[in-house]
Amino acid sequence: MNRRGLAVWLWAGVAGLLLAHNLYLWLGARLATDSDILALLPAENREPALEKAFGHMVASAQQRLIVLVGADDWNQAVGAADRYLKALASGKNLLTPDREISPRREQDWLTLFDKYRLVLMTPNDERALRDRDKQYWVDAALTKLYSPVGGIKVGAWQEDPFGLFGAWLQARAQETPVRPRDGRLFVGDGTRVYVVLPFLVRVSAFSMATQEALAPLLEGARQAARRADSRVDVIAAGIVLYAGAAAAQAKWELSTIGIGSVLGIVALIWLTFRSFKPIVLITLSVGVGCLGALSVCALVFERIHLLTLVFGASLIGGAQDYGTYFLCHRLGADGQLDSHRLLRRLLPSLTLALITTVAGYLALALTPFPGLRQMAVFSALGLIFAWLTVIFWFPALASQSESAGGGPLVRWCAASLERWPRFKASRLTLPTLVVLGLFGALAAFAFARLRVQDDVRLLQNPPKQLIAEQIQLSRLLDAPAPAQFFLVRGESAETVLRREEILKQRLDALVVEKAITGYQAVSNWVPSLETQEARRALVDERLLSGNGALAVLAKRIGADDLWVAATRERLSGLAEKLTPQEFLNAPAGVSARHLWLGPVAGGYAGIVGLRGVSTKSLPHLRQAGIGLDGVQWLDQVGAISGVLARYRNYMSWVALFSYLAVYALLYPRYRAATWRVIAPTALASIAALALLGLAGQGLQLFHVLALMLLLGVGVDYGIFLQEERSRRDPIAWLAVVLSALGTILSFGLLGLSRTPALQAFGLTMLIGTMTVCFLAPCFAGGTRS
Amino acid sequence: MKARRGGAVALAALALLGAAPAAQIQSILARPKILCGRFDQQKQLVGLKKPVSSNGRFCVVADKGVLWRTLQPFPNTLKITRGEIIQFSGERIALRMEARQEPAVRMINSVLFALLGGDLEPLEKIFQIDGVVQEKSWSVTLKPRDGGFGKVISAIALDGGVYVRRIVISETSGDRTEIEFSAIQTGDGAIRPDEAALF
Repeated sequence: MNRRGLAVWLWAGVAGLLLAHNLYLWLGARLATDSDILALLPAENREPALEKAFGHMVASAQQRLIVLVGADDWNQAVGAADRYLKALASGKNLLTPDREISPRREQDWLTLFDKYRLVLMTPNDERALRDRDKQYWVDAALTKLYSPVGGIKVGAWQEDPFGLFGAWLQARAQETPVRPRDGRLFVGDGTRVYVVLPFLVRVSAFSMATQEALAPLLEGARQAARRADSRVDVIAAGIVLYAGAAAAQAKWELSTIGIGSVLGIVALIWLTFRSFKPIVLITLSVGVGCLGALSVCALVFERIHLLTLVFGASLIGGAQDYGTYFLCHRLGADGQLDSHRLLRRLLPSLTLALITTVAGYLALALTPFPGLRQMAVFSALGLIFAWLTVIFWFPALASQSESAGGGPLVRWCAASLERWPRFKASRLTLPTLVVLGLFGALAAFAFARLRVQDDVRLLQNPPKQLIAEQIQLSRLLDAPAPAQFFLVRGESAETVLRREEILKQRLDALVVEKAITGYQAVSNWVPSLETQEARRALVDERLLSGNGALAVLAKRIGADDLWVAATRERLSGLAEKLTPQEFLNAPAGVSARHLWLGPVAGGYAGIVGLRGVSTKSLPHLRQAGIGLDGVQWLDQVGAISGVLARYRNYMSWVALFSYLAVYALLYPRYRAATWRVIAPTALASIAALALLGLAGQGLQLFHVLALMLLLGVGVDYGIFLQEERSRRDPIAWLAVVLSALGTILSFGLLGLSRTPALQAFGLTMLIGTMTVCFLAPCFAGGTRS
Repeated sequence: MKARRGGAVALAALALLGAAPAAQIQSILARPKILCGRFDQQKQLVGLKKPVSSNGRFCVVADKGVLWRTLQPFPNTLKITRGEIIQFSGERIALRMEARQEPAVRMINSVLFALLGGDLEPLEKIFQIDGVVQEKSWSVTLKPRDGGFGKVISAIALDGGVYVRRIVISETSGDRTEIEFSAIQTGDGAIRPDEAALF
């Protein structure tokens, strides 16, 4: 076996291994895919405590699914909820009612606080204890005594004569509008009433099997609930629903782009070569490219994101370039020319083309977005494997006989090239100047209108129905924002509680201003020891002492000194020290566990969650955290948008410098004609940006990234055309047209994606590639040293 | 949240103006559009030798709600309507609980209005009802079935004739409240203008 034969077999061995590994991955269902949108987000070098804080908030929500079944009247709602639950009974392994927040737990959770009653009071009452006179508290106690409904009453009147503990409990109850009613959870908005059904998803919310099984189950239950009564409505929200919708969408797009690209490219090759063999060869190179990309990615990354696969499907259009380029030259070459010698001749341009495109993709890997990195690595690998396949196999497999003939596309290319206008810098004619002038003016006008858009929502576009239900559910439940909260840190648990209390004083002002509706924190339940101590002293002095309100009250109700002494002793005894740990371990603490990070590096940390957060309240909230020790305002949504903006800016500069780098890379080969290689791509980028401006679309990171990639792809066309000695030679032009059509097809299909980021990427590539393809012949040829 | 029920209990009990044998009592009870009168309340608190007394006026207006005005020794007004419970301290609203946020309010009111409408069935879901009826007078004892009520109330006793005469509420804590109704008037003239203005 000679050296060439060895190369063919060596690569066959590699391809075989890749195939076997892919079969192992797919058939064994060992490919770990990911549809979690958070996995796409930047893993900036955050402190462990911040990481833990976000993880805590997310984890508390991830496996939950909340369903509201609503009707005009409670009995109808209960009936519908029962039908809903019954329909779900068959899916016990997937979904079970969350017992931790079922109304039954309410029974025992009060007992925890008995020992600590004396120090559990609202900040309002604490202030009133300081500021109001004795009479105020005597009146409060008498009102409670004589009125049939004196606010909340727990146990006998004497247990809480001044209503401090009752008011505190009421405040705690008001942290959520959900109420127990007839053994169920109730929430209402004044017109409709809802049964609240909290569920736990028993299996990973991000497993595709879970999502596929869950969707029909929930839909069936929804229909069951509505069957008897069409006025019943069902509102569901949970990360699993978003993940499911994202996965279903990604799968659909993956197959559309994949199948569309393959069919389109097969058709193109048929129109070009009128032969099956090129189809087989190109399919081989693309196939090995895809297999290689997937294999290596599966080994390198823990899980492969579904959007990587969607983006990767556009690889099919790009990976065929090298094979097509080779085959086109085979078609145009002298029948006597050995394929290996042909390859040697083409190798420099093929190599340059690969390097520029891979460099374009790897620029995506410079961003801190793990999702983008994965997409970039996947695509670059695919190109490299496809390129290697061409190098190792095509000379041996594409025989000389391929030279003959050619399809209608070949004839069209040859004919079109004759008529294509050519740009000569040395002889600027009037029409050329007019065209250039118009283009410049239009671009300047459009650039002036160009806006930027860095919203995190670019990364996902869930179905409208899901968003509508989520918004309705958040409004009804007045739930705390999951991505915006305060992180409070300190060297001890006591310091954390103390700092939370100081922060909450500022937040109280925001509640009064109606900027937010409320907040949740462990310190709502467990006052700091310092506060507990202060309250104990306050109650002793103002209420229980010899000349306090209790003594006056006793006179009013005709009680003797014995009663006063007994009551004082009993109430004073209910003032043990309450610690966060004790609270969190008790049933009452279940719903607050996500608010306490406990020990973290360098101390302790807690979370102050916020209810009723709106865009308008964000600046106030940021302000509220300023200047407080250990308090940090965290806005994940804002932070991600900030990262998107920063990288849009940064990558724009990278793109500009890439042009310089590419120029430097190409200069040794093309010398004075180098600008001709780059000009079509540069003009296409300007045209794409101008179109964005004209269409009123905001410029975002993903447009810029597409322009980076366009540089890699577009320069290839310049290289291919520049390589030809004679402008009359249509072969390079044919290769460019084929390559461009493939790219246009793949990225055009990507432009149909419902993920705004991928759509922006696809459309920019579509417009850019088309423009490059049209302009490239205008700049082709010229002096070459 | 459980606590809220506790607070509501006393009021719910007030609303229980009679029960089983439901049909019989229902036929005896008059159901005027407006009913006002005087109440005398005695609370016997554990550890307190003397009972704590208060008195005042009450009004029940069909389809509107109930007004409970403590006059002695400590003025205080409570208004219960279908949508809310409001406690006035003088002119000032000292407490407001809305039914659309607090189902307990709705529960109290639904029991109350069910009674006023002569529909005693809802009570039998919540209480076990035993009683005797003798011609134009009756007496019943209600024992809570539900754990929620049972935590606070051990029993409620009512007796009366055409109108409810007396309610005795025994709490599990040992406290006992006795309310007697007298000077009952009916018709548009029964309610005073300032009271009517509160609706």
